Amino acid sequence: MLDAALLLGALLACVVGMGWFALSLDVHWAQVRGSAPQSPALVKALRLAGAAALMFSLVLCLTVDSPSIAVLVWLMAVAGATLAIAFTLTWRASMLQMLVFWTTSQGAR
Amino acid sequence: MFANFRHSMAWLHTWCGLALGFVLMVVFFFGSLSVFDREIDRWAIPDTRFEPQPMPSFDKMLRPVFETMQPDAAARAATAPLVDGPLPERFDTPRSWGAYTTHRDPVLLLFAGYEVPGAKDHETAIYANRTVDPRTGEALPTDRLKLGSEFFYPLHYSLSLDWKNVGYWIVGFSALMMLMALVTGVIMHRKIFRELFTFRPKKTTQRSMLDMHNLTGVVALPFHFFFAFTGLVIFAYIYFPVTHTQLAPLHDRHEQIEAKETGLPHDRAGVAAPMASVDAMVAEAQRRWAAKGMGGAVGYLNVQHVGDANGYVSVYRAGTDRVQLTGEGIHFKLSTGELLREDPPPTLVARINEFLTGLHLQHFKHWLLRWLYVLGGLSGCACIATGLFFFVEKRKRHHAKHGVSGARVVDALAVTVVTGMLVATLSLLIANRLLPDLMPAGWPLRGAMEKYCFWGAWVLAAVHGWWRTASVAEGRLAPAWREQCLAIAVLAVVAPVLNWITTGDHLLRTIGSGYWPVAGADLFMLASSALAFMAARKLQARAARPVTASNVKLEAKHA
Repeated sequence: MLDAALLLGALLACVVGMGWFALSLDVHWAQVRGSAPQSPALVKALRLAGAAALMFSLVLCLTVDSPSIAVLVWLMAVAGATLAIAFTLTWRASMLQMLVFWTTSQGAR
Repeated sequence: MFANFRHSMAWLHTWCGLALGFVLMVVFFFGSLSVFDREIDRWAIPDTRFEPQPMPSFDKMLRPVFETMQPDAAARAATAPLVDGPLPERFDTPRSWGAYTTHRDPVLLLFAGYEVPGAKDHETAIYANRTVDPRTGEALPTDRLKLGSEFFYPLHYSLSLDWKNVGYWIVGFSALMMLMALVTGVIMHRKIFRELFTFRPKKTTQRSMLDMHNLTGVVALPFHFFFAFTGLVIFAYIYFPVTHTQLAPLHDRHEQIEAKETGLPHDRAGVAAPMASVDAMVAEAQRRWAAKGMGGAVGYLNVQHVGDANGYVSVYRAGTDRVQLTGEGIHFKLSTGELLREDPPPTLVARINEFLTGLHLQHFKHWLLRWLYVLGGLSGCACIATGLFFFVEKRKRHHAKHGVSGARVVDALAVTVVTGMLVATLSLLIANRLLPDLMPAGWPLRGAMEKYCFWGAWVLAAVHGWWRTASVAEGRLAPAWREQCLAIAVLAVVAPVLNWITTGDHLLRTIGSGYWPVAGADLFMLASSALAFMAARKLQARAARPVTASNVKLEAKHA
């Protein structure tokens, strides 16, 4: 049960991490937050946060399984998360606002 | 010939992708289904719907079964040309007995190889196979086709074309070309990271197909690369058959030397000997694995040179806790139970081979990773299919204008291998539930009839695809896609309903009892039905949309 919870956490961390990566791109930021481009500092912060989330996901995978299986699970989870974020941006882009809840459209430069 | 390197790569990607995309579509789709081949077997053979079982007692159950096994008529017919004179009525000298199971198998596969008197080549053996219920030792009927492991899986790696291994060669060449297509695709794609998350279904069909092709190709790029590569590694012995051609004498000599070094006799001694308790040997092997901190389920048990003084027993572990396809074999003298050898840790090269092989064949026990493999396989299907759609969309108006039928031919073939393949697969599942247990006298066996239903449905889908793509020659969307999507939507509901009617295993029961092999198959089909219905509606809406001048202009811009 604990293993299942940790793997679920790893999947969620991948989705959140890839979501932050996507939002660091102007075109997807505009889809989620309107047309205002984001500040360079926010772009950097989102990319760092995305990388950290993916690393956290890898650590969770390694906690549950042997390294050979964990790396495979993580790689495939990243692929699945990328698809999930791409389709969310296509059909429900506003849902990704929750990933940048601390920012506002007005605050973006 | 080309303006620049990127253009030459684009040419290579387009034409090799087109030529072999149809084969790769079949390989990826049935590879995805093969991830759950044992579960599909359970759906197809209701008598085997019980929990996976450990390897049963050899001494009490398996040995008596092995002693009654004999090759069937098909094996005898295949062996007859390899022998001088007639085949004997019975084969009395077993060369080996083997029992194989996995953590997903409720049933046990047994195979026995026999020496063939009078064979032109002294190494010729004839085999008998049997699938048994490990709880009772009773044999399952031989005319039941294991749809997952005996039909979908061979389609994945050999297209079921066994004549001179031609299917293996076609699939291997396609895998090689796929590696090339992946490399050229990466070179062609100018904005891999900037457009990683981009899918714009409201743009033109051509644009949205290219978006989906790029998205599904890039996100699972490591998966596609490793699966094409490891598939080639697994069958390298077929693609480079030097050990049985140019290097055959060296190979035979190596076998003799290896047998001396390992202490595992290469040949029979010709002296009869009794058989010690194999169960005691299995228990000793498990004790030794446990001492190394390894799980102790037995995956494969082999008895070599049965009934001979040189006989030995090999016990292999089911390596479910790691990616590597590894067995940590332990070998015992058959007549005494004395330990002969414990396989040493593999060399670096062997470890790499075990990892690459295990990565592809997935003996591990990890349900999430299995589903992620299915996702990778289906994303490969989506990538290939959208590549074919893009080819047609880019050219159909131009071809229509100039009276060329290329786009129409490609579209008809694409219908056949995308939706047609799904129609054929679902028809097979439906035939599996409708055919009588015993076919009438004079008819082919049940398993053969199921295969005929599959191929027949696929041929019908191809004919329909050819007939209903005529409009592509006029630059319009083919109605074949919508009609076959509707057929899939209907068939994918009919199959689970028939499963319910013929076995009583409806979803409430299978989910309620936690029997996921059957519940998962039914749910997967119902989800496919919903997706196919949505696709049919979208296609209908798109077909009804008038072709505006701006649309044509936009699409022409990309052509």
